[in-house]
Amino acid sequence: MDATMDTRGGGQIEPITKAKATGAVSDPIFIALLWASGIFVLLLLGLIIAQLFMGGLPALQHFGLDFIWTANWNPVTENYGALVMIYGTLFSAVIAVVVALPLSFGIAFFLTEICPQAFKRPIGVAVQLLAAVPSIIYGMWGFFVIVPLMAAYVQPPLIETLGQVPILGLLFSGPPLGSGMLTAGLILAVMILPFITAMFVETLESVPPMLKESAYGVGGTTYEVYKNVSIPYGRTAMVGAIMLGLGRALGETMAVTFVIGNATRLSASLFAPGATIASTIANEFPEAPIGSLKLTSLLQLGFILFVISFIVLALSRALVRSRLD
Amino acid sequence: MNSAVDPTFNLASAVAAKPDAPQAPAKIKVENLNFYYGQNHALKNINFEIPEKRVTAMIGPSGCGKSTLLRVFNRMYDLYPGQRAEGMVGFDGVNIVGKELDATIVRTRIGMVFQKPTPFPMTIYDNIAFGVKLHERLNKAQMDERVEWCLRKAAIWDETKDRLHTSALGMSGGQQQRLCIARTIAVKPEVILLDEPTSALDPISTSKIEDLIDELKREFTIVIVTHNMQQAARCADITAFFYLGELIEVAPSDVIFTNPKEIKTRDYITGRFG
Repeated sequence: MDATMDTRGGGQIEPITKAKATGAVSDPIFIALLWASGIFVLLLLGLIIAQLFMGGLPALQHFGLDFIWTANWNPVTENYGALVMIYGTLFSAVIAVVVALPLSFGIAFFLTEICPQAFKRPIGVAVQLLAAVPSIIYGMWGFFVIVPLMAAYVQPPLIETLGQVPILGLLFSGPPLGSGMLTAGLILAVMILPFITAMFVETLESVPPMLKESAYGVGGTTYEVYKNVSIPYGRTAMVGAIMLGLGRALGETMAVTFVIGNATRLSASLFAPGATIASTIANEFPEAPIGSLKLTSLLQLGFILFVISFIVLALSRALVRSRLD
Repeated sequence: MNSAVDPTFNLASAVAAKPDAPQAPAKIKVENLNFYYGQNHALKNINFEIPEKRVTAMIGPSGCGKSTLLRVFNRMYDLYPGQRAEGMVGFDGVNIVGKELDATIVRTRIGMVFQKPTPFPMTIYDNIAFGVKLHERLNKAQMDERVEWCLRKAAIWDETKDRLHTSALGMSGGQQQRLCIARTIAVKPEVILLDEPTSALDPISTSKIEDLIDELKREFTIVIVTHNMQQAARCADITAFFYLGELIEVAPSDVIFTNPKEIKTRDYITGRFG
């Protein structure tokens, strides 16, 4: 027994009660730092929410819950309501998703199935670069390029044709200003396109090849296989992707501020200028003195945007997760 | 019925028990077929015939080209750029390799069942109706009839008739595989290709599928790829042995499993390699 110990250790072996592990000091510090990082995120988010809520509380107390559904924003009479901005935020985001969705489907299908290997990378990179363009660039591009084009070539014919149809015509009424809801929605569509497309591509690539082959195997064409197998297979993840795109569109500020027209009037028309929550805050924050009712109303607007975004994000996560389980 | 796990199972006696001699006209005639995955020459000058309304098994070690040949028969390789076939695969005398025939038409005549069950993410009923709707206009009653017909053919009607409108993903693996066979039958093909159809199934489900194959060969020409030589011996009238992309030997199953001509074949079926 003694002999074997000597050959192995080459010295006196410490009693187990006195031995020190190598990480005795450093490991608890490391673990404490990890804890701190985790707690930090929670604290940060909690403080931001609390701060926003507290900041907006005076407006809520002054106007009550009417703040949410009052379509009035008048700095002169100090009368504020959020309805126009909530409506503008949701409307422009929905336009963006409606426009971006078919394009994303097309690009994603093309990239995953049809595209020759040589084109795959250039197109894939181009889509990703769309996401890398700073939002202010989209704003300027929208203001100097898209707005004049809309005013000259898109809006007048639409107003003359569809604008004359009863009920539907309400969507296409008003003067052809170029800026407005539709223009903002289009710019937003370009901005959320890369995100939706990337998630669609991922989903489509996760469809088992054997499943697609069996659909081809009963004589399905490319379109039929997509419609009946690939899309149903990835349906929930795709809805999740759409919600994420919607979430991004809701909070987008700079590009929208450039092209939406910034009018605090409620209008059903796609061509009418409007405002989103984010664009209103960006526009009016510099003119809101500390302690004023306007400032607290803007903070309350921010809180409402936060809640809307949070709901959309929570929905998208729930949908994506239900698919993974 | 032969159990798939019977340790005392004897290949020779199983083959001897097969009554019908494989005398039938050729349904598929392979002539000088070569197949390439890019640069890789996967099938080398294959020549053989698949008799009508018989079961033909293709055996061989992994990578020998047997699944590749199956994928040539229904033009599945068309989906992937870089894969190409040269030569002739005559189907009732018409060459199905090459661009003259539309692949979707070939695939409705020559259906395929895969290694793993691949139910579509929809109801059992819709899984069957999917393929049918692509090619035929049937009214509700006709479609109901077709669904019942092919589910009965695939010996799964009794298990599914009360849950036709529930998701196919809730079925067991063996049931899913029989549903896939039913789905293939539903478009009324002439040939059914089975690519290791039982490799993901338990022994009981396996023996059900094997019984089903015996039933189906009355009406369909069947080609089965399998790694299980007992399965080939039990089910197939004709067995073809492939090795490294070449067809080594093709003969009636009772001959190939008892008295193979080639040494490679004998080594493989006696388990000396592969």
